[in-house]
Amino acid sequence: MSHVRIEDVSVRIPVFEANALRLLRMPSFGRAKVGASNVSHAGALFVIHALSNIDLVLEEGDRVCIIGHNGAGKTTLLRLVAGIYPPSSGRVEVEGKIMALLGQNLAPNPDATGYENIKLIANLYDWPKERLPEYIRDIEEFTELGEYLSLPARIYSAGMHARLAFAVATIQVPDVLLIDESIGAGDAHFQEKARTRTEEFISRAKIMIMASHASDFARTMCNKALLLANGRRVFFGDIEEGLSRYAELR
Amino acid sequence: MLQALDATTGAAMPHSGAALWLGLRTVRNLRKGLTWAWLDTVCQYRRSKIGPLWETVNVLVMTLGIAVVSSAVIGGTMTDLIAYIGLGIIVWSAITAQIGEGTTAFVRNREYILSSNLSIDFYVARMSFRIAITFCHHLILYVLGVALGLISLHWITLLAVPGILLLFINGFWAITLLALVCARFRDVELIVRNLLQLAFFVTPIFWDYRRVLTGREYIVDYNVLFYFIEIVRGPLLGEVPPLRTYAVVLAVTVIGYVLAYLAYRRMRRNLAFFV
Repeated sequence: MSHVRIEDVSVRIPVFEANALRLLRMPSFGRAKVGASNVSHAGALFVIHALSNIDLVLEEGDRVCIIGHNGAGKTTLLRLVAGIYPPSSGRVEVEGKIMALLGQNLAPNPDATGYENIKLIANLYDWPKERLPEYIRDIEEFTELGEYLSLPARIYSAGMHARLAFAVATIQVPDVLLIDESIGAGDAHFQEKARTRTEEFISRAKIMIMASHASDFARTMCNKALLLANGRRVFFGDIEEGLSRYAELR
Repeated sequence: MLQALDATTGAAMPHSGAALWLGLRTVRNLRKGLTWAWLDTVCQYRRSKIGPLWETVNVLVMTLGIAVVSSAVIGGTMTDLIAYIGLGIIVWSAITAQIGEGTTAFVRNREYILSSNLSIDFYVARMSFRIAITFCHHLILYVLGVALGLISLHWITLLAVPGILLLFINGFWAITLLALVCARFRDVELIVRNLLQLAFFVTPIFWDYRRVLTGREYIVDYNVLFYFIEIVRGPLLGEVPPLRTYAVVLAVTVIGYVLAYLAYRRMRRNLAFFV
């Protein structure tokens, strides 16, 4: 059984910048709307309290949308579950194969073509060789990128990257799928396809965590919401209630 | 597959037998690093007419230029000097790439480190193999030297193979160590680059180490890089390097991997914060 268990986790991100401390003391900093209340300094180091005392337990079938203002800690939480950021205190436990789809660009080599990048990812993530042609056909069909797959990935638009990344990330059903806002770059038609795909995916009982600002998209993709504010958990539960709590927060 | 992280454990790393586990994983990932490096090289060819061969041309021009100056200043015939200098520069180019570019291995892959859960030995292997592929391009110059009769072939030549392997095996720990340290301390990269420039003059590449004044041999004896040049250049020139050379190289290999492992233990966890 796959699960994600986060127990009393805090993530403090150190900022290695010589003049960061000076900035911290400036009165204007305290008035910043985004994440001003969660900075401090430890010795000569400027520290951002990106997440504070988070508790969260996810079981199979949970599709969670993380919502919150910019700087609330959404991406940090995704990176924490992916094992990219370590917890500063507390404990994170993930059972199952993780696929993290974070950031704009999943192409490992922007100068290589879409096909070459797919093959490289297949290699890096140990896709079974004999199923590769089938996977590639699936990706072609899902992304509808056509001849663009034969062109270098660096010329792709944000939406094209989103299509390719989502197709690649979901081709093999991971136990835990992590997606950040960049997926929102896809157009309505793509989002519809992504939803259908996610349904198939969830029917095989796995966990998905995504961050999004688009409430319609969040509604169709997820069944639960996690509302964060200043790195703290404000609400976790039903998606509709989460979205209305978020609307009040504004 | 359970992945548990708390405030004390390293990133996805077991508490006990960590070194062995890490070593095995790294070796298993080497092939993937090669695939990645191969694609990098293919793309290099696509965007420029002769790709990494430009670096080979650079090595050739450097060799010819330095050989002319050396023969004029230090003495000796061009034909004697050119093989010694050329092979020295070929090995040096691999050393300088591994040390100089190694400092940027993680910073350059910042985006990928922050957005995927790939283990970081991929980035090291990718860089290591890319440098090795470029090095193989440079060996064309060696073949050319043999064809022109500047270098003769011996059975001893084969001894260069373990030399080259040792060169890149050591490059791997050097890239890992420097990439970690330089991700956290950005000054180190600049210091390393400055020292590399000095090292080119201090290391016997365009001058003969056998002609160092008596009593001053320490400038060669205490230069670790000299031994790495010698284990490749010596055999290719038909000389068997003394046992002491191999002893020094092996000692450096062991010390280097211990240092890289300690740095990994200490810094891997926070790498995403550093880059």
